[in-house]
Amino acid sequence: MRDALRKNGLNPSMIYKIFGGVMFLYLFLGFMVIPCVNTLTSVFTAKDAQGNTDPFAVIRFFLAGNMPSFLWNSLKLAVCLVITVNVVGISIVLLTEYFDIKGAKILRLGYMTTLIYSGVALVTGYQFLYDNNGLMTKWLAEMFPEMNKQWFTGFNAVLFTMTFACTSNHALFLRNAIRGIDYNTVEAARNMGAKPFKVLFRVVMPTLLPTLFSLTVMTFITGLCAMSAPTLLGYNSINPEIVRLAGSTTADESFPQARAALLSVILALFTIILLTVLNHYERKGHYLSVSKTKAKLVKQKIQSPVANVLAHIYAYVLFIIYMTPVVMIIIFSFQNWGAVRTKTLDFSGWTLSNYVGVENYQYTRSTGKIATRYGAISGVFSNEKTVGGIRLSFILSALAAALACVIVVVAVNYIFKHRNKKRAAIIEACLLFPWLLPTILICYSYRTFFNDEVWYVFGQNLYFKENVRILIILAYTVVKLPFALRMIKAAFYAIDDELEDAARNLGASNLVTFLRVKLPIVLPSVLAVFALNFNALFTEYDMGATFQKAEGTTYAMVIQSMCNEEGRDGMNMNASGRRCASTVFIMLVSGLILYLVYGVGARDLGERLAIRERRRKRFEKLKGKLGGRSQE
Amino acid sequence: MIQLTDIVVRFGDFEALHNINVHVKEGEFFTFLGPSGCGKTTTLRTITGFIDPVSGTVAMQGKDITHVPIEKRNIGIVFQSYALFPTMTVHDNIAFGLKIKKLKKDEIEQKVNAIARKVDLSDEQLKKAVSQLSGGQQQRVAIARALVTEPAIICMDEPLSNLDAKLRVQLRNELKKMQKDFGITTIYVTHDQEEALTLSDRIAVFNKGFIEQIGTPNEVYNHSATEFVANFIGDINPLEKEIVRGMGLETGKHHFIRLERVRVNQDKSGDNIYRTEGVIESREYYGLYIKYYVSAAGQTIKVIEKNDGIRIYEEGERVRVEIHPDDVMSYPGKEG
Repeated sequence: MRDALRKNGLNPSMIYKIFGGVMFLYLFLGFMVIPCVNTLTSVFTAKDAQGNTDPFAVIRFFLAGNMPSFLWNSLKLAVCLVITVNVVGISIVLLTEYFDIKGAKILRLGYMTTLIYSGVALVTGYQFLYDNNGLMTKWLAEMFPEMNKQWFTGFNAVLFTMTFACTSNHALFLRNAIRGIDYNTVEAARNMGAKPFKVLFRVVMPTLLPTLFSLTVMTFITGLCAMSAPTLLGYNSINPEIVRLAGSTTADESFPQARAALLSVILALFTIILLTVLNHYERKGHYLSVSKTKAKLVKQKIQSPVANVLAHIYAYVLFIIYMTPVVMIIIFSFQNWGAVRTKTLDFSGWTLSNYVGVENYQYTRSTGKIATRYGAISGVFSNEKTVGGIRLSFILSALAAALACVIVVVAVNYIFKHRNKKRAAIIEACLLFPWLLPTILICYSYRTFFNDEVWYVFGQNLYFKENVRILIILAYTVVKLPFALRMIKAAFYAIDDELEDAARNLGASNLVTFLRVKLPIVLPSVLAVFALNFNALFTEYDMGATFQKAEGTTYAMVIQSMCNEEGRDGMNMNASGRRCASTVFIMLVSGLILYLVYGVGARDLGERLAIRERRRKRFEKLKGKLGGRSQE
Repeated sequence: MIQLTDIVVRFGDFEALHNINVHVKEGEFFTFLGPSGCGKTTTLRTITGFIDPVSGTVAMQGKDITHVPIEKRNIGIVFQSYALFPTMTVHDNIAFGLKIKKLKKDEIEQKVNAIARKVDLSDEQLKKAVSQLSGGQQQRVAIARALVTEPAIICMDEPLSNLDAKLRVQLRNELKKMQKDFGITTIYVTHDQEEALTLSDRIAVFNKGFIEQIGTPNEVYNHSATEFVANFIGDINPLEKEIVRGMGLETGKHHFIRLERVRVNQDKSGDNIYRTEGVIESREYYGLYIKYYVSAAGQTIKVIEKNDGIRIYEEGERVRVEIHPDDVMSYPGKEG
C-alpha cells in the first residue's frame, strides 16, 4: 500500500523533490543561462544605421577597428604575468621552504602580506608609492636622477602591481606541493652523487610541475581578465573596455553594447579553452609520492658563499618590495592631510583624523577672503560616503556569501546522497558553470539583460535604482558558487558513510542526521568558505565597477573615487589619508578573517575543549593567586 | 533469536547473497567469517536494515522484520570505523540515541552514566571529545552508544580491524568479557580467522555469497566441511600424489593436513601411520613454536613444532615425517 502510494501518489517527499527541481531550473536557467545567451545573441543582432539587423557587423567592426588591440594588450599582460609571477612565486617558495635562508619565517610573513592586502586597496596603495610624485618614485629619482618619473603607468605599472598581488596565492599552493616532497628522494639523489642544484632541477622541480602548470593557467586567466589594475593604472585591456562600452550609448559610438558582448564572449572562449586544457592535464594525474613513510623536507644549505649571499640579497630585496607599501600605508594613515598630500613624513603630524572625526578646512579665496569648507577632512568611519560604501559592501557581501553557502550545502548534500546518479553530476556541472565564464561576462550579461522588465523576476528592472543591489547580490552569489562547491564538497568527503548509518540506526531522521551529525562536521569548512567569500567580495572591484551607480556604490568604488576627488574645491582634503586608513581597515578585516578561518576554525572539538580546559586552569590559578593576596 | 531464511541480495545484475539461511541463538556470540567481498557485511547490513533483500525473510524473536525501518529494529551496531560523531563529546555520542527517543534529561543522564561505568569510561572521559580518546577507549564508547538504547542484539562490523596487532588482542579479550557480562546476542563480522576462533560460540564461514559451513570453532577448524573452509581457516598442507598413494588415500579427492598434525621424528607406534624421510629446507622462528619446511615425498611439507628449547632442527638435517590417516581431511575434487 505504502509502496503503491510512493509510486503513484504525491507524498511530501515527492512535493519537495518537484519544488527543488523547479527552483533549481529557475535559478540555473534564469540567472546563469538566459542572461549569458542573451549576451551571445546580442553579438549577432546588432542593427545598422537603417535599423536592419546585421549579424556580422560587430565582427567586421572588430576586424577593422582597434578592438584587437585590447585583446592583444590583455594577451600580452597574461603572458608576461605568467613569466613574472612564476619567477617571483617559485623563487619565494624556494627561498622560504627549500633553501636555508636566514630569517625565512619573517620573509614568509612579508611575502604573504598580499593575502590581506589585495585588490583595489593594493593597486591604490602602489599608486600612492610609485606614481610620478609617489614616495618611492621620489626617493628613487633622488638616487637615479635620470630615471623616468612616469614609469608607473600603463603596462609596466600593471605588470609590476599584479606580479606582487598574484604571488601570495601562487606561493601558497606551491608551498603545499614542495612540502609534499619526500625528503628521502632528495637524499637518494645526493647519495648517488647529484649536486644540490642538480637535485633541485632533476628531482624537486619535476614533482612541482603539475602544480606549476595549474598555477600558470590560473595566472594566465587572471592576467587576461584583469580589471582593477588596468583601470586604475591606465592600461587598455579587455575588461576596462567592456565596462566602458557597457556604459556608452550608440550616440557616442557604433554599437557599444554588442562590442562589449563580443569582447566578453572572446574572453569566455579563452577561459573555456584554458580550463579544458587544465582539466585534461589534471586528469592525467600528478606525481604522487610512493613512499609509505614520507620524510620531512630538510632545508638545503647553499654551498657556494657567493650564491648564498646573492640569494639572501634577492630574498630581502623582495621582502622590501612586499613590505614597503604595507608599512608606508600604515604610517601615512596616521599622518595629517598635508603630509599625505605632499607624501612627506611629518613627525609632528600624527593624527587619527583619517580614521575618525570630522574637521573643517579654511582656505583663502582669490578675492583674499578666508573661506571655510565644513567637513572637508573626515575619517573612514566618519565620512558619510565611505561609511555608506562599507555598509553596502558589508551587507551585500555577507548576504551573497551566505546565500552561496546555503545553496551549495543543500546541493552537495543532495549530490552525495545520489553520488552515482546522473542528476547529481548534472547539478554539480551546473554549479561549476560560472567557473567557465569570466566574471565580466556574467556581470555584463546581468547589467544588460536585467536592465529591462524581466517577467521571471516579477516584471522588475533589476538594474533600476535600489534594485541594482539585488543584482549585485545575485552576481556575487553566482560568481562564488564554484569556489564554494569545490571547498564544501571536499568537506563532505570527510563525512564517513558509517556516521550517517549510525545516526539512522539510533533513530535519527534524514533532517536530524543532516542538522545534528553532518552539518556540524562540515560547518567549519562552510564558515571558512563564507568568510573567504565575504573577504573577497567586501573589497571586490570588478563586479562593483560593472554595476556602479549611485545606489550601488560599493566600498571598492568609494576607494577608487578617493583617488580622483582629493582637494577639489577645498573638499575631501584628506582623501588620500582616508584611502590609507581604508587600506589598513581592509588589512585588519582580512587578517581577522584569515585568522578565524585558518587559526580558530581549523581546530576540532578536541582542540577546542583542550584550550577551554587550559583557560579554566589558568583562570583558577589566577583566582587562587588573587585570593591569596587578598587574604594577605 | 535471529533467523535468516533464503535471503537473496542483488546489486544490479550482481547477486551478492545466494539463499542465506542462518539461525543465531539467544545470548550467542555468532561470527560471520570470510574473505573480502564474500557477503558477510552484506548479510549483516541486511539484518540491520540498511539493505533490502530481493527475497527471503529476516525474523527477530519470531517476528518478521524484513521491511521494518532501521530505527525500529532495536538492533545496536558497532561500526568498523566506530562512526563516533566527531563534533560531539563522548557523553553526547552515547546520549544521541536516547535524545532521539526523547527521553527525559534525568533518565538520559542516568542511563549514560550507568553504561559508561559498565564499559569502564570515567566521568572525565565522558566530557572529552572522541578525538581525545585512544583507539581502545573509542571502541568502548562505540559499544556504550550501541548498548545504551538496550537493543535486543548487537552487530559488530570488523570493530578491531583499525587497531594495531597488540591492542587488537587485548580488546578482543575485553570484548568477549563484555559480551558475557551483558549477555547480549552478538553478531560479529570479521575476516580474521584467529579473531573468529577465539571470540565465537559459533561461526558461519562465507564464500562468494554462500555459507560454506556453520559450526563451533572446533568444528570449522578440525572438521572443515569444505575445501574452502579448510584452506581459509588456519594454515594447511595439501598432500600430493606420492603421499596420497603411500597412504592409500582416494586419488580422485583433495587431501589436506594441518601443520600441527604432521609429526617429525616422534616414532609414534601404529601400523597405519605413514612415514617418510625428509630434509629440513628452511625454518622460521616464531618464539612459541618453530615452523619447518620439510622436503619429503616430492613436495614441501610445512610442520609446526613446539619450541621446547631442546630439539631444534638445522637446515639440511634429515628427519622422519609422520602422518596419521585420521588427521587427513579429504574433499571431493573439482570433478567430484
